[in-house]
Amino acid sequence: MQIEVLAIGLPLLGAIIAGLFGRSITDRGAQFITCLFMIVAALISMKIFRDVAILGNDSVTIELFKWISSGTLDVAWSLRFDALSAVMLFVVNVVSASVHIYSVGYMSHDKCKARFMSYLSLFTFAMLMLVTSDNLLQLFFGWEGVGLASYLLIGFWNHKPSANKAAIKAFIVNRVGDFGLALGIMTIFVIFGSIQFDAIFSAAGDASNASFLFLGYEFHALSLACGLLFIGAMGKSAQLGLHTWLPDAMEGPTPVSALIHAATMVTAGVFLVARMSPLFEYAPMVQMAVTVVGALTALIAATIAVTQFDIKRVIAYSTMSQLGYMFFALGVSAYGAAMFHLFTHAFFKALLFLGAGSVIHAMSDEQDMRKMGGIWKKIPMTYIMMWIGNLALAGLPWFAGYYSKDLILEAAFADHSWFGEFAFWCGITAAFLTAFYSWRLLFMTFHGKSRADDKVIAHIHESPLVMQIPLAALATGALFAGVAFAPYFIGEHRIDFWQNSLFVLEHNDTIEAAHHAPSWVAQMPVFVAIIGIFLAYILYVVAKTIPTHIAKIFSPIHSLFFNKWYFDEIYDALIVRPLIALGRVFWKRGDEGVIDPLGPDGVSATVNVSSKTVGRMETGYIYHYAFAMLIGVVALLTLYLFKFYW
Amino acid sequence: MEQAFLIDYFPIFVFIMIAIGISTMAIIASWIVGRQKPDDEKTSPYECGFEPFEDARGKFDVRFYLVAILFIIFDLEVAFLFPWAVSLGSIGLFGFWSMVVFLAVLTIGFIYEWKKGALEWE
Amino acid sequence: MIDLQTFNIIPVMPEIIMALMGMVLLIFAVSQGNKSYRIVSWYVVLTCITVGAILLRFPQGVSITFGGMFVTEPFAVFMKLLVLAGASLVLLMSITYMQREKIARFEYPILILFSTLGMMVMLSANDLISLYMGLELQSLPLYVLAAFNRDNLKSSEAGLKYFVLGALSSGLLLYGCSMVYGFAGTTNFIGLAEVFALEATPVAGVVVGLVFILVGLLFKISAVPFHMWSPDVYEGAPSSVTAFFAVVPKIAAIGLLIRVSMSAFGGIAEQWQQVLMLVAMGSMIVGSMAAIVQTNIKRLMAYSSIGHMGYALIGLTAASSAGVQGLLVYMMIYMFTTAGVFAIILLMVRKNMQVETIDDLAGLAQYKPLMALCMAVLMFSMAGIPPLAGFFGKLFVFQAAMAEGMYTLAIVGVLTSVIAAYYYLRIIKVMYFDSATEQLDNVEDSGSNFVMRASAFFAVVFITIAWPIVEAIHYAVDSLLFL
Repeated sequence: MQIEVLAIGLPLLGAIIAGLFGRSITDRGAQFITCLFMIVAALISMKIFRDVAILGNDSVTIELFKWISSGTLDVAWSLRFDALSAVMLFVVNVVSASVHIYSVGYMSHDKCKARFMSYLSLFTFAMLMLVTSDNLLQLFFGWEGVGLASYLLIGFWNHKPSANKAAIKAFIVNRVGDFGLALGIMTIFVIFGSIQFDAIFSAAGDASNASFLFLGYEFHALSLACGLLFIGAMGKSAQLGLHTWLPDAMEGPTPVSALIHAATMVTAGVFLVARMSPLFEYAPMVQMAVTVVGALTALIAATIAVTQFDIKRVIAYSTMSQLGYMFFALGVSAYGAAMFHLFTHAFFKALLFLGAGSVIHAMSDEQDMRKMGGIWKKIPMTYIMMWIGNLALAGLPWFAGYYSKDLILEAAFADHSWFGEFAFWCGITAAFLTAFYSWRLLFMTFHGKSRADDKVIAHIHESPLVMQIPLAALATGALFAGVAFAPYFIGEHRIDFWQNSLFVLEHNDTIEAAHHAPSWVAQMPVFVAIIGIFLAYILYVVAKTIPTHIAKIFSPIHSLFFNKWYFDEIYDALIVRPLIALGRVFWKRGDEGVIDPLGPDGVSATVNVSSKTVGRMETGYIYHYAFAMLIGVVALLTLYLFKFYW
Repeated sequence: MEQAFLIDYFPIFVFIMIAIGISTMAIIASWIVGRQKPDDEKTSPYECGFEPFEDARGKFDVRFYLVAILFIIFDLEVAFLFPWAVSLGSIGLFGFWSMVVFLAVLTIGFIYEWKKGALEWE
Repeated sequence: MIDLQTFNIIPVMPEIIMALMGMVLLIFAVSQGNKSYRIVSWYVVLTCITVGAILLRFPQGVSITFGGMFVTEPFAVFMKLLVLAGASLVLLMSITYMQREKIARFEYPILILFSTLGMMVMLSANDLISLYMGLELQSLPLYVLAAFNRDNLKSSEAGLKYFVLGALSSGLLLYGCSMVYGFAGTTNFIGLAEVFALEATPVAGVVVGLVFILVGLLFKISAVPFHMWSPDVYEGAPSSVTAFFAVVPKIAAIGLLIRVSMSAFGGIAEQWQQVLMLVAMGSMIVGSMAAIVQTNIKRLMAYSSIGHMGYALIGLTAASSAGVQGLLVYMMIYMFTTAGVFAIILLMVRKNMQVETIDDLAGLAQYKPLMALCMAVLMFSMAGIPPLAGFFGKLFVFQAAMAEGMYTLAIVGVLTSVIAAYYYLRIIKVMYFDSATEQLDNVEDSGSNFVMRASAFFAVVFITIAWPIVEAIHYAVDSLLFL
């Protein structure tokens, strides 16, 4: 058993212990064990990250045991440690360890601490299975595992109907994506006859011209497979169209939002596309779609974030927007840049969420920014953390986001295609909006006059140490992850760093091209970000009445943004209601009308009647019995002789 | 052919004729010679307390059955003994001992019923 | 002519010992009176065990004696062992019961012994004559046993019904024997097998005779439509006698049925397969349907055993080696689990009175967890739920039927198993989820308790010992088919 296995195994062990024996080891014990295990796992994954990625050692694959062997389908449980999975391992375990520790403080008033810790560890395990898989089926297992854990955690406060609704919504919207992913996996199996990554990737070049004939149309096989995989990625990573679940998922406890809906799970889609880069490279149509969807997501999510008042929703839309960035980076083949943004984003977004959690904690569970304000002196530590997070998010120089976001925009520009251009301008606009809504959040929450009632104000307090330490750890990441790792992810060491885990066709190497982009392209994001911050300062500190006026003047646009572009309403009218109506028909007419009377109810009624009939034949009269016997003899004889003479 | 076949059965025919003749004579003789003074006691066929003419389903003492069944067992035993005795010469020692075993088994049954008191009327 | 010196008495030794013991015990007991009941019972158990031990040491291979009338081979030995085991188990659990019911007369164990002797003769019968002799020797004690509680109206009625219908079936059987003899010219099984090996299609008379013989045997295993007696007799007879009826004679009759159909009439298998198929389907359907509405647990077990005979007959209908093997596995499992269920029925006493309805078990799990657990295990096993023993019995016979392409039979079997599961599970539901109105007494009856536990244990561990058992059965069946 190699030590690497522990990085994945410990969270599972922690989840089992906390989940099944939570009662006997008490809440304190469950918290201690899961946190300890997570810290150890995080340390191990740092070691793996150093060995495999930074030092550039060969990737390792550990086969645990066989899983399925059926015909040509041959799948084993195995752990693959290459640069890509090492990065993910690092991100997941470090953020998860921070969140575990933070949760000890944040959930201190909750009744089901052990259950919460168990779910967190379970989620971590599933995510690790996803990222370390060496085949698509195990990846799918992890994919569904995180879906399950996400469902459990969003609905953790199961006494709240809204939490239950949000959990179900997240689960069902994700099913749409999962369906695409499952079909994609099957398509790949059909094309390659295998779902092992190594086998697929080595055959990808040969299969680049393969095609399917379906209903008389010819489909480009790899485009079909990649398109389906992308649908799966869209679901999990909340890209436009399948994003509606993410803001609602904020119903879960804040640590959950930080871990799952900011740092890790939602990046699974990005990881999937990066992992499958050898296939996406041969499917330019899909790459185009990825770019456009990513760009639109980045822009639209940012516009929505500008109008929201719930502190967690603002950050949620911000997350969605940043995921959009990652996707259009993937679309223009800048996989390294996307992964780098994933990496830095994980730190500063987790930081922001945990900081917001700290605010909420201080404000006695108040999430509406209109009821906050003027509290920066009372919780200075949190205030500083939020500043760091926002600076990184806005991509101001030398903070983590600066390196990754800038490169993404440059790569999009350097792609020299219409959709690259489109993504670039969307990205620039979104960068402006990002800076604007970030400081809007900051000013509304911490500055100005307090708008909360006295009872809440009296109660405001800085979070305990157990919540501050993880914040500090993540802040370190938000400050230095960019500058420290940029040479490896996207700079001069990138070839050695990624080795074979990412694949880019030579003419698609946009990261290389990005380094030669004009200088105004590199300066533009910083420039618009500063304008955004300045504008936010004017509107929310200097002249606070203006925003209301603007909202009135541009009321159609404002309500479009404020109501999230009416996605939920459109889905409700187009899909949900017709489906419910159809379901009602099947239920009333089909199930209760046809299947029940013919099936279960009918059969049991028939059995009852015939049972009574057979019972009634037992009269107790001996001559009836003898008669039945003779009838039997005659019947059998007749059958015989009939057969005999015909 | 036909003729010869029937001739084989001629002795039986004679036997039947003689039987009919003798029985007829006996009935006629008793009718002529005997005194006939019927009364209730005399017309009842058995002396065991049954009405001669009554419903067949009437109850009667189960001990009659017992005796009758015991009788049948030993009656059959005797019926079995005759052919055995005749063929003893050809079935040898094995045949001899077989019958001894049979009789022994029967004796055990007899001991059982005796001990149980089946042979006592009261 | 048979010579005394060369006469081979070895194959009949077990039967001779049984008969001698029976007679000795009879004489002994009749001189001692009913106070000798317990000691005689134990002697009978001992006799069964001794004879079983002798059988285990029996020479392998086929030996025939009594001028071809009597045969012993591993198949017969295996079946006899089952019969002896069944008889011993039933005796073990009924010794105390009979005393509780105040019908502890010494004839009870001796009648069981003679009936068992008859079954052993049946199992070794190699001739229609010895078949009939064994069958009658088995049946006559059973008639008496059914009416053993002679002061009880129901018991007498049960005895009488069983006797009259049994006589009718014996008559049919004899009629069939004489027809077969008339048309085939021999009563010997080997002779019959030779006759049918030569003829492609048999004479109609033989077939008619065969049907009558089958009817006589099917009556003994209470297969539909010759089952009508069994619910009444099961209900009326004393429970320990019912246990005996349910367990032991069925094994003997099935063994005989196998021998008659597979060895004597094996050449004309197509002729009887159809009959058995109809009978099996009828038994499965009636067994599962009629049991649902029963409230008396003994009646329920009657229908249950009718159903089980249906499943068992599937194995014979397949007319293949695998089928017969499956059938034997099935019968073995059936015997042990049924004995356990009846042990529990015997333990159902409330205020010193035997009770027999299913509702009397209500809430059993709360105050007698072990008994409820054993019952639950046995019920699950009978319903055929893996990994308990009953599942394997069904699995083997269904497999055999599928292998012979008898899908209809297998499908009916599976469907009726589902229906039958309902009433088995209902008992579990009553025991575990209903609340007790009045509790059952604690009965001092180590015999029944032992059988109950052993049987449940068997049902659980069968999965681990299945392989050697199946091997042994395979060996036994081979010896029969190569005859």
